[in-house]
Amino acid sequence: MAWNDRILGIVTLLYLFLFFIHILYFALRKEQIMKFMWVTLYVTLGLHTLGLLLRWVESYKLGLGHAPLSNFYESLIVYGWSVSIILIVMKRHLSFPIITLIASLISLFLMGYASLSPSVQRHIQPLIPALQSNWLHIHVITCFMAYASFVISFIAGLLYLVTWKGIIPPRDTLDEINYRSIIVGFPLLSAGILTGAVWAHYAWGSYWSWDPKETWSLITWIIYALYLHARLVKGWKGKKIALVSILGFLSVIFTYFGVNFILSGLHSYAT
Amino acid sequence: MSVIKNKFEGADKGSSQGLSHSIYSFLASIRFTVLLLSMIAVGSIFGTVIKQGGSAEEYLSLYSENTYRLITLLGLDDAYHSLWFYGLIMLFVVNLSLCTMGRFSRFIKDSKRRPHLPDERTLLDMEMHFEMDFKAQDEMNYPAASHEVSKAGQNRENLLGTNSEVWTRGAIMRSLEGTYRCVYKETEGAVLEKGSLSRYGVFVIHASIILILTGGFAGTMLGYKGYMVLRKGESKDQALIRGAQEKAQPLGFALKCKDFKVTFYPGGEPKDYVSTVEVIDNGRVVLEKKIRVNDPLSYKGIHVYQASYGKTPTFLFNIDGENVTLKEQDTYSKGDLLLMVVRFENTVHNFGPGVLIAYLDNGEPKTSWFLRDVERLRGKQLQGVNIRLEEIKEDLYTGLEISRDPGVWIVWTGFAMILFGLYINFFMYHRKIYVRKGSKGIIVAGTALKGRDAFKQEFAKIKGNLNGMER
Repeated sequence: MAWNDRILGIVTLLYLFLFFIHILYFALRKEQIMKFMWVTLYVTLGLHTLGLLLRWVESYKLGLGHAPLSNFYESLIVYGWSVSIILIVMKRHLSFPIITLIASLISLFLMGYASLSPSVQRHIQPLIPALQSNWLHIHVITCFMAYASFVISFIAGLLYLVTWKGIIPPRDTLDEINYRSIIVGFPLLSAGILTGAVWAHYAWGSYWSWDPKETWSLITWIIYALYLHARLVKGWKGKKIALVSILGFLSVIFTYFGVNFILSGLHSYAT
Repeated sequence: MSVIKNKFEGADKGSSQGLSHSIYSFLASIRFTVLLLSMIAVGSIFGTVIKQGGSAEEYLSLYSENTYRLITLLGLDDAYHSLWFYGLIMLFVVNLSLCTMGRFSRFIKDSKRRPHLPDERTLLDMEMHFEMDFKAQDEMNYPAASHEVSKAGQNRENLLGTNSEVWTRGAIMRSLEGTYRCVYKETEGAVLEKGSLSRYGVFVIHASIILILTGGFAGTMLGYKGYMVLRKGESKDQALIRGAQEKAQPLGFALKCKDFKVTFYPGGEPKDYVSTVEVIDNGRVVLEKKIRVNDPLSYKGIHVYQASYGKTPTFLFNIDGENVTLKEQDTYSKGDLLLMVVRFENTVHNFGPGVLIAYLDNGEPKTSWFLRDVERLRGKQLQGVNIRLEEIKEDLYTGLEISRDPGVWIVWTGFAMILFGLYINFFMYHRKIYVRKGSKGIIVAGTALKGRDAFKQEFAKIKGNLNGMER
């Protein structure tokens, strides 16, 4: 078993552990537990990064030599990694255990799905000619950072619809968190789409070909643009705007998973 | 508020002008934007669910005849190039332009108004404000103060006649001027601001979207997309444009394929496709380049991309002792014999590769298979001529994608601008600080339209710093 697999296995267990820390917090309500949770999250992110770097190094040993951004397995691992990074970037606004609890569950799901699903190819595969470009790194990272920000927006939008005293943060705060995560995610998604377009120009001869992935990323972009205008220009608040953000995330999920499984196109290598 | 204004104007100017005005305000409204963007999004979904650019047979195997008729009627078989889709995008450009221009003219009007210093009451009503009591200022500070102020180049006479109020105000201004810019000053106080660039963010973003769409439109109108298939050694000076009827597009120069190679990883996956291509302009070789998948050739605004590859077989025949090389669709005649190579097949009934030959048997067309691996079927006598299939060679050919897009630089400019616009819009904050002499002391107050929480923290820090300075 390669080292990257072992470390990423430990990382998966750590996301499970993070979930239990949250449960412990809700049982005992001691602030120290949350401090410990953040420290554990930093350690998890550190190991997660190390796992990705080792996979990169090991790909060179196999004579393939490429960043771990090339297939569905690697994209799931990078997605989980991006969620942790966004949590830490937005830490100041996310001092609500229920949000980090759901985020750690989502990371756990991504990592677990990557390592357990029989349909996911886990070994390091060679990079097909279309992906041999430096645009790969910036395109994939910006896209997944955007997807990760939208995870936070989704959690805030979903919690907005739920009432559970003492667990769910105040509604205004959720609204603010939702907005903040979208203003992080929206520019990143724009950057992801644009770097993809520039890359497509150099690889395929056309910056926009209405490939299903491209089209769905545009649909996602439009939904979040509508969110921003509804909120900033029309002053939408509350349930309505929370529903728009949930719709946006459904579109993200379709862009990421749905297009790969249901529609076929240029992006069929599943990143 | 704008609704009330519109109604009022409509009533004033008569109904016909009122109608055109209300059409205009609908075209420029955000409601129309939301409608258009939703329709574009839904229209785009059709294009990802329904197969695009398929043939009639393909559609009829998937849908009923009526559904197929509906699909072609609505142009859903090529949704992104259908009239209604172009129409939606055109309307969106109109809407976005009007909306942005309206907003911009209001913005210009607002910014032409001189910045003014609100009165004491207004400042004290602001959410973020504090007062500094200059009367409580320790007299001991004066020597230090005079040093500070003269260093800042202030008038000495002013200094002598002054009290601690002027000194305090000067010190506040100096401590802010590192990060804030003074935009207005009067005897009673001053207005400072920062991040005013962020107010342009919306305009930059909207203008770049229009620019990107314009670039895309220029590309479709003035450019083309085609392809070219080249065998090793072959040269061509025109690309083919796909469509129901293929069209030839002259390039203005010729491309010659000197070599084509595919390399594979040990596991068998393709690693690299490389076409070595010469550009021949006016009969002279002006450029030679290895075209790879992510590394196109550019010459005179035309880009040539590595897109695909394939194999074409060539057949070496021995006809009456003479070696003849033929390709598919080639014809050959000798004496009474007239033959044509019809097609190649990799395996003919499990007997290995073979080639189908058509010939005239006393004026009547007939066909016959030549199989390389079956000795009995390798050589035959047709019309009294001995023919033997000596060898089948498979030559690689390269498939090149060829495009000319004069709009691409407009699009790139739009891309750069939109990222800049998004940055200044979301990550720069316009913040104003007012410093004013009040009845009890100096009032410092602040306002921000966006990112108020972050400004509150900054304002608390400013307050802390100034209080520290007092001591």
